[in-house]
Amino acid sequence: MSNNNLLPASWSRQPSTRDDVTVLAERTRTNSIETGVEGGDKDDVVDPTIAAFRQRYDIFEKRIAMMFDTRRPCCAPPDMEFAALELNDDFSSANVNASGNSAADNARPPVRKIDDDDYDFEDDEDEEDTKAKAPPFLPLKSASSLSQSSEPSSGNIIDAKKSAVATREKLEADRKAAEEAVKRALPSMFFTLENDRDAMLEQQKLEESDRQVNAEANAAQANALGKLSSANLGASSLTLKHLIARIDAKREKVVVSDMELRNLMSEVRKNRSKWANEDKIGQEDLYEAAEKVVLELRALTEHSTAFLNKVNKRDAPDYTTIIKHPMDLGTVMKKLKGHHYKSKNDFVDDLNLIWQNCLTYNAEPSHYLRKHAKAMQKATQNLIPLIPDIVIRDRAEVELEEAGALEVDAEGESDDEPIMSTRGRKAPGTKKTRKGARLEGTPEVKAPVVNLLRADSNPPGNDSQVSVGINGFPTPSGSTPIPNGLVHSISQMDIDHDRVDDDTHDVEYQTWKTLTKKARAKVASERHKLFRGNRLNPEEPALLRSRDDMGRFLRNEEKHAKSTQDADDSSMQQGSGNTKLVDTEQPDVQELLPDYYDPLAAVPELPSGVSWYGEGDEVDLQDDNLRIAPRGIFTQPKSELSKRMDANIKQMQETRKLCSKIGVIKQMQVQTQMYSNQFTKYDPKEFVEADVEDFVISEEGPIMCATVARAALQKSVGKIFYHAGFEEFQPTAIDAVTDIAVDYFQKLSKTLTVYQEAPQHERKFEPEFLKMLTWLQEMLLHALYENGADVESLDTYIKDDIERLGSKLNGIHQRMKIHLTELLRPALQDVGGDGSRMFNDGSEQFVGGDFAEDIGDDFFGFKELGLDKEFGLSSLSVPLHLLQGRMHSTYQTQNTSAVALADGYKPPPPFEPVTHELLEREIGLVKNFFLAKLHAGGGEPLVEDEDLPVKQRLPKPRLPPSGKILAPRKRPMHGQGGNSKKKKKPNPPAPPPPKAAPPPSKSMAMDRSLSKISEVDGDGNGGMMSPESLVGGGG
Amino acid sequence: MSNDKFKYRVEIQQMMFVSGETGEPSAETTGIIEEIVRGQVIEMLQQCTNLASRRGSRSISTDDLIFLIRHDKAKVSRLRTYLSWKDVRKTAKDNDPSGGAGAPDPADLLDDAAAGIAGGTGPVQMRQKKAKIGLPWEVASFFSEQVPEREEDEDEDEVEANAATLQRLKNADERTRGMTRDEYVHWSECRQASFTFRKGKRFREWAGFGTVTDAKPNDDIVDILGFLTFEIVQTLTEEALKVKELEDQVLLESREKSKKRKREKFLFHAEEGRTPIEPRHVEEAFRRLQVPKPKSRAMRNFSGGVVKSKLTLV
Repeated sequence: MSNNNLLPASWSRQPSTRDDVTVLAERTRTNSIETGVEGGDKDDVVDPTIAAFRQRYDIFEKRIAMMFDTRRPCCAPPDMEFAALELNDDFSSANVNASGNSAADNARPPVRKIDDDDYDFEDDEDEEDTKAKAPPFLPLKSASSLSQSSEPSSGNIIDAKKSAVATREKLEADRKAAEEAVKRALPSMFFTLENDRDAMLEQQKLEESDRQVNAEANAAQANALGKLSSANLGASSLTLKHLIARIDAKREKVVVSDMELRNLMSEVRKNRSKWANEDKIGQEDLYEAAEKVVLELRALTEHSTAFLNKVNKRDAPDYTTIIKHPMDLGTVMKKLKGHHYKSKNDFVDDLNLIWQNCLTYNAEPSHYLRKHAKAMQKATQNLIPLIPDIVIRDRAEVELEEAGALEVDAEGESDDEPIMSTRGRKAPGTKKTRKGARLEGTPEVKAPVVNLLRADSNPPGNDSQVSVGINGFPTPSGSTPIPNGLVHSISQMDIDHDRVDDDTHDVEYQTWKTLTKKARAKVASERHKLFRGNRLNPEEPALLRSRDDMGRFLRNEEKHAKSTQDADDSSMQQGSGNTKLVDTEQPDVQELLPDYYDPLAAVPELPSGVSWYGEGDEVDLQDDNLRIAPRGIFTQPKSELSKRMDANIKQMQETRKLCSKIGVIKQMQVQTQMYSNQFTKYDPKEFVEADVEDFVISEEGPIMCATVARAALQKSVGKIFYHAGFEEFQPTAIDAVTDIAVDYFQKLSKTLTVYQEAPQHERKFEPEFLKMLTWLQEMLLHALYENGADVESLDTYIKDDIERLGSKLNGIHQRMKIHLTELLRPALQDVGGDGSRMFNDGSEQFVGGDFAEDIGDDFFGFKELGLDKEFGLSSLSVPLHLLQGRMHSTYQTQNTSAVALADGYKPPPPFEPVTHELLEREIGLVKNFFLAKLHAGGGEPLVEDEDLPVKQRLPKPRLPPSGKILAPRKRPMHGQGGNSKKKKKPNPPAPPPPKAAPPPSKSMAMDRSLSKISEVDGDGNGGMMSPESLVGGGG
Repeated sequence: MSNDKFKYRVEIQQMMFVSGETGEPSAETTGIIEEIVRGQVIEMLQQCTNLASRRGSRSISTDDLIFLIRHDKAKVSRLRTYLSWKDVRKTAKDNDPSGGAGAPDPADLLDDAAAGIAGGTGPVQMRQKKAKIGLPWEVASFFSEQVPEREEDEDEDEVEANAATLQRLKNADERTRGMTRDEYVHWSECRQASFTFRKGKRFREWAGFGTVTDAKPNDDIVDILGFLTFEIVQTLTEEALKVKELEDQVLLESREKSKKRKREKFLFHAEEGRTPIEPRHVEEAFRRLQVPKPKSRAMRNFSGGVVKSKLTLV
């Protein structure tokens, strides 16, 4: 069989412990009426494929339970050892039955209960059921066989009677056993609700027809309502009759209601049924049985609905032309109530008339009603033998016959005895024996019957607690007021005849259906009442939990727990403990209905991890319940891609470091002076993706947290931005891109879902295992394509944007380095072998100790440039200003030389330093000033400004671009490098450049020189003053 | 009205000739192509204006134009070499106005750029290295400092981007293989055809510079547009030729089936017998080029609504 490979080889072969194999094997028999469910008898008849199917069916059944995970101790999952599955399909029938019989050898798999709010599915593996279930079906078969065999023997009256009684007994016993079996098997069966509506509708029809019958019957007695005597109380004794007559006469004085009176009477007349009538002997028996039969026929609601009432003219206009004597079950009931039948044959003829009419009218062989009629016929045939073949005769006649034959005193004894003794007999001559037999037979048979009819004679008002009784005889509650919603005509069409009933062979199911029909109909009708049209009816009372229901639910729970704890004791005891809450009893009906029929009563189960099953106050928390979520859910996982991206990013950071150094150097070249804290060091830290803090989870499945997920995505987007070259991002920009990314991924996953759910076309020529792979692949590719991506472009992206980028970055990094060294080279060239040339610059800083801060680390990266060894630097850190000075000077020389070349100007000759001697020639105004300076300098010639080291030089003021000096500048002009911050004193003006000397500058210079003179400033001499002013001033 | 069609008819014909068309395209065909090109130019200018305004600048820059075609790497690299050669040309001309540097053909530059031929420029000492036009989205822009240019050029993606260019060169090579001298002269003349070369003013009017864009675009823009329009015509022609080939195949098959022994008017054994491209071919080619790629459609998935489709730049 081709299904072999569907089962993984690791499954163990667990033979069924249910009785399914035996029962189902029985069903596969074609035509044997064997009684006995032994193993080897059926080998030759069993169809091997079907048997193999059944085997697998059982195995799968067990596996279904594995899908529902629960950890309650009563339903702990079994240790399914997945040993090798040996489903050998050699169809030797010994295998098939051996599996069934080895059930007893296996250890009992534990029971598992899964209690959802919706349904209660329990895989019941008890062994007792095996044995218990076997017998019930046996008698059923034998019963049917017996009933069949009872037919031919109807001629023999005694035997027929005996067998009829026996049959009846047997039937009832069988039914009872069947019910028990169903009850026991109930938790393992799951019933769909589709039959409930039909049950409800059929029940309504039944009730309607009953009502009609009763209405007619009551109508007939409408006049004589008040008279108790006319009520058929079966009061046979004269005393009672007189009593009744008396009560009637003084009805108003009796302060008891009619109902109560009837109750009293019927209690007195305990053993009387309503049919008991002293005047007509045999009426009770016959009518009892007849009524029973009619009710039973009625109860076959699947088939009987058509026959409950008279045929409607609307339904069949030409009915009366074809059928001359219409008959229906309602009419039969009416006739019964009206005491029309004198004998069994009358009754039977009427019944058969119904079916015959139907078959005549619906002559077409495929008509659905024929099916029902035939079924009813068959049922009738089965039931007819149960009716005693009595002919009703008047009491007077019988008594005349029996006069003298009776020893029993009609008067003296209790009311019961004489009545019983004078019950009608079937035929004369065999009274005694018959009587005895009857007497013996009757109580046994009667007891259940009377009990049934006891329910009948209950006042009609009490309809809520009607017991179902045996065989599901519905007891019509005649005066149930019809709810408003159900007034609409229930035609035949409402009940769906066309629905194929697949379960006709499922005896259990049928039994359960019959058993619970009334209950289900009731539940369905109650539910129906809640609606008004298509909406909920707000007028209806609210749905509340009831104590009874909850009690029942709790009891079921207890039962289950108990039954799993002590598996040997599978008695259905009432649990103690919790059920003390509930006092009332439960009708049997509700126990047969599964839990999901009454959702108000159920309480959902706690997940096993959080419920307390330990003793005392300690909660046994299972370890895997609350746990810390694993790390790395919200960060990028390590992969090739992440490695490369990280490398690229790192490379960029390194290159940026170099860039910053280059930038510093370039600044130094341009600036005249520098300060050690001027440049912030670019020291980027390596990027580390931060993970979320530890958090606790208790469930399976992915972590769902929208905000954290979005933040993680934003982090990734930021990383990609950095990878693309951006160092900083504006919040709006990164938010926008994150939103677009979110949208895109949502669309991608939606597309994927669409493709996953789309039906796939047939692929015939691929092996099984490949189908899955290719299907997945195709799905992915389609989804990617629809969203604008494809594997090729993704590949290109990786190659270009990540790998090539990496190499480009490397290249740029190298070039930057080289650039940097080139820039630094002039600064280092002059250092000389031992750094002696550092002093060439007239650096008084060394002498004066005016060092810049020691920069600790290798700021300029000499080490990595390998220059330290080359130049023999003892310390790697170069005082900043030294370097700056050097850079600056070299830069200036380079540039000025270029500029000088370009302009073609030669610098003017330097000024002579001011000395004492020269001072004499100067004007008197400046003499004192210079004398003071010379004095301070100790007689040395004053140093010219150009010869001063850079730092001490005051910056030369420069003309603005327009060439005009607009206002006297009190503040110092900005040199190149922002020295002005440190200089507090206003700088003296610088002399105008050699080229330009517009007249306004002269005045400016005059101003400045004047201001300069007023301040004792410093060294200024010719360098600071305009030659014109000197000349002009000196004269 | 007739002026409309005929503004650039000659140029378009020449360009089509260079791109592989052997027959004589009709006026209608060239008219359609002209209209298509015009629409594309206007679209380009509009998008550039948008970009510039988003950037915060009033005038269009060359970077905006190049940004529009950034996805087609081959085109970008051709364009860059074209521009750099233009630079060289200019400086060569300036330095040596009298020198024998007759303006090298733009066409030469267009196609030979990949080979790195210094097509007849000025004296050696003036041969500055090609100033590589830096694009704002290049790697070098990541860093604040610019590294000095390297002599050794041509990293990998240049090589790859040139694959398409090389293919074109190969095709051209095959075509010209069997040409006589005259033919080749004719060929090279046609290669010079450009919308903008020395026709700047006419082009500006035709392209609607004043109306579409606010500012007056500079010469570089016009040059780039000239280059791009040539590319458009070339692409259109190639695509139309493909369409025509398919159509001819179908016709051939159907004729074979019907077994008519007609004179083989439409079979193309020899190149001369080839019929020119018809307007319908051009239309179909244009339609094919305008089909939106899944990438542009992707974000519209799962959301309904009316979609306004823009003109795709060819």
